Amino acid sequence: MSKNNNISLGHIPEEIRPPSRIPPYLAAILSAIIPGVGQILGHAVRRGIILLGSFLSIMGLVIWRFRLAAPRDVGVFNIIKKGLHLEPILILVTILIIVLYVLIIIDAYNIVKVRDRTPIGAFFMVIIVFFALGWQIGDINLYTFFSQADEAIPALSKIVWPWEKAITQDVDYVRGYALIEIPCSDNPPPPSSATEGEPLLIANPTCGNLTVDEDHPGTLLHLVGKDFIPGIEADIMWKDPIRNEFRQRSEGHYVKVIPDENGDFELDIHIPYRLLPPSADQPTYIWKVFAQQVATVGSKHLSSDFKNIVERMIETIFIGMMATFFGVIFALPVSFFAARNLMSASPITLVLYYLVRAVLNIIRSIEPLIWAIIAVIVVGLGPFAGILALTLHSIAALGKLYSESIESISTGPIEAIQATGATWVQTVMFAVIPQIVPPFVSFTIYRWDVNIRMSTIIGFVGGGGIGFLLAQYIRLLDYKSAGMAVWFIAITVAILDYVSAEIRAKFV
Amino acid sequence: MLEVRHLTKIYDDGTVALKDISFSVAEGEFLIVIGLSGSGKSTLLRCINRLIDPTEGEILWNGVDLAQLQGEELRKSRRHIGMIFQHFNLVNRSSVMTNVLSGHLGYISQWQSILGRFPKEDKIKAWEALKRLGIEDQAHKRADELSGGQQQRVGIARALMQEPKMILADEPVASLDPVLAHSILQHLEMLNQEDNMTIICSLHYLDLVQRYATSVIGLREGRIVYQGSKEDILAMTDEEFKDIYGEEAERVGSGLEGNITHEGGEA
Repeated sequence: MSKNNNISLGHIPEEIRPPSRIPPYLAAILSAIIPGVGQILGHAVRRGIILLGSFLSIMGLVIWRFRLAAPRDVGVFNIIKKGLHLEPILILVTILIIVLYVLIIIDAYNIVKVRDRTPIGAFFMVIIVFFALGWQIGDINLYTFFSQADEAIPALSKIVWPWEKAITQDVDYVRGYALIEIPCSDNPPPPSSATEGEPLLIANPTCGNLTVDEDHPGTLLHLVGKDFIPGIEADIMWKDPIRNEFRQRSEGHYVKVIPDENGDFELDIHIPYRLLPPSADQPTYIWKVFAQQVATVGSKHLSSDFKNIVERMIETIFIGMMATFFGVIFALPVSFFAARNLMSASPITLVLYYLVRAVLNIIRSIEPLIWAIIAVIVVGLGPFAGILALTLHSIAALGKLYSESIESISTGPIEAIQATGATWVQTVMFAVIPQIVPPFVSFTIYRWDVNIRMSTIIGFVGGGGIGFLLAQYIRLLDYKSAGMAVWFIAITVAILDYVSAEIRAKFV
Repeated sequence: MLEVRHLTKIYDDGTVALKDISFSVAEGEFLIVIGLSGSGKSTLLRCINRLIDPTEGEILWNGVDLAQLQGEELRKSRRHIGMIFQHFNLVNRSSVMTNVLSGHLGYISQWQSILGRFPKEDKIKAWEALKRLGIEDQAHKRADELSGGQQQRVGIARALMQEPKMILADEPVASLDPVLAHSILQHLEMLNQEDNMTIICSLHYLDLVQRYATSVIGLREGRIVYQGSKEDILAMTDEEFKDIYGEEAERVGSGLEGNITHEGGEA
């Protein structure tokens, strides 16, 4: 009713518009004192209110931004000076506000004099000022964006093609070692002897002293390696008496050697520098020197990250499925209470209708992410929390959609089937069910689709599924694994989108 | 023989839709009810098959007072009264065949119909009904894929499945153009003449009333203001018609009468 009134007011012909109560120059002066007042008194009330409201809110926002830029300064002049200095966009905003102020005055004069409501200069200016303010409030910085865009490339390239991480190969350590006694005693350990199938490392001598400093290097050892894997780099390493392993260095580099085609090598090293804790105090110690090769063994296979992601993806799909399942089970009965045409019979049912509708609206207006946080508090981390959160949201969303499709069934067919002498059950079967099943199926499949998409996000707050894993990978800066997860989500969602669209097309 | 005695209907909100209506219809008559929208035509028709419960009065049909029937007895009586509607009232998402078959629900057991299964003879019957109305090639389409005229014929076929002795037609042509209006009324006339079904039909147009009615009653604000035979209505002038009917009465399609073909110009 009121809407119609508004529309008809807009169509009042020019000649019957009420005349202005004030002359044009007075309107201009009034708008100069308080922008918009001239228009209001000049019988362009709505126009005046919009301009006044816009101007006041713009002033409020600008004062806030200046104060924020200069929080500790005292005095209006100082604040403005500092604000303009720190936030150059505020200069532009200030200029635009002055232009707007002038435009509103001109607008007041014109509206009263010409009584033509078409000029939109002032409104256009309001939009421009809000845009400039938005730029400043949003801290938009295109320079940073374009100059630093390339910083995204390393992470992005890993996410775009993460599949090297999907394949892995097991490794095996091949070691040959010799025992070294430090310092030398009367009977140093014997040189290493060969064992079948394992490489051999012989040191000469088998005892000596540690390095003290650069001028006093440790005893020079001559190492001879045999039966190592030809062509694969071997690291020379030590194991001290308290079983710490460390690598042999020489002139700042790790010492490495590549065995020849027979798997043999020879090299000289100095016994390194090493402090042992006093608790390990003994007259002599046995150290181990060894050469270690890393060899890949077995065939290539899928990495554990990949397997994890696949497992979590399946979990995600089932979270969405179970949430849809429970959602449908609860939404079906609820939807009948939320259907106005069924509930308008008596005041009691009508109250129930409004109550159910209100609860559904409240539940639906709270994001599933927030429900998930609450669910995690109740049932702990994991997929069950995700299912709970999505179920709640699904009940609300489906309840509304179902009830709307119940409301939209036409009574004609019901009447017609009744008139044939059909029973109540037959009437429901032939006139009601055919009308509500197709929209119900369609909405349910749509909801399943939505739930699976949402369950990928729910994991970020601990609701289980692939989101949980994705959040972890991102925090560990493991962009390749994160990339694989993103790929899986994208593929799943795309397939689902397609399948649900196909099924829905068949039903409606 | 249908005899309506002192029928009154007052709705819950206090609207008096019918006031002390009495008339009788002999078997095999084509009774047309005329009157403005809101004059009580639809209420009268719906009282006869009890889609609406009358407040007072008797509706005697072959000696049984339909107004007193309840439950199973009412259902059994309804089976013999077909009804067609202005907006066809088909289940749009079901097939034409299912819509027609649903006319026979009153005769088959509840459990059989829950499974959506109909006996083979019913399907043959439905097929024949569709054939009689010339739309058998549409049988497997969805009802809402058909044009208005075709949908109304599906409505008639559904009523036919009830093996009715009487058909109530609530403004059956008000949603159709004049050419189709004749086509639909000719189908009703065929049932009236060939199968000796009693037809009670509400209409708006004087031409159609003159062309099809064997007797007429006029309603105004819930009361009978005119009762006449075929001869009376043929002798009626536009002015007299408007007198009973109000200013909204219209004459349509006068040039079409007589030279219309059975299928009309339906698309």
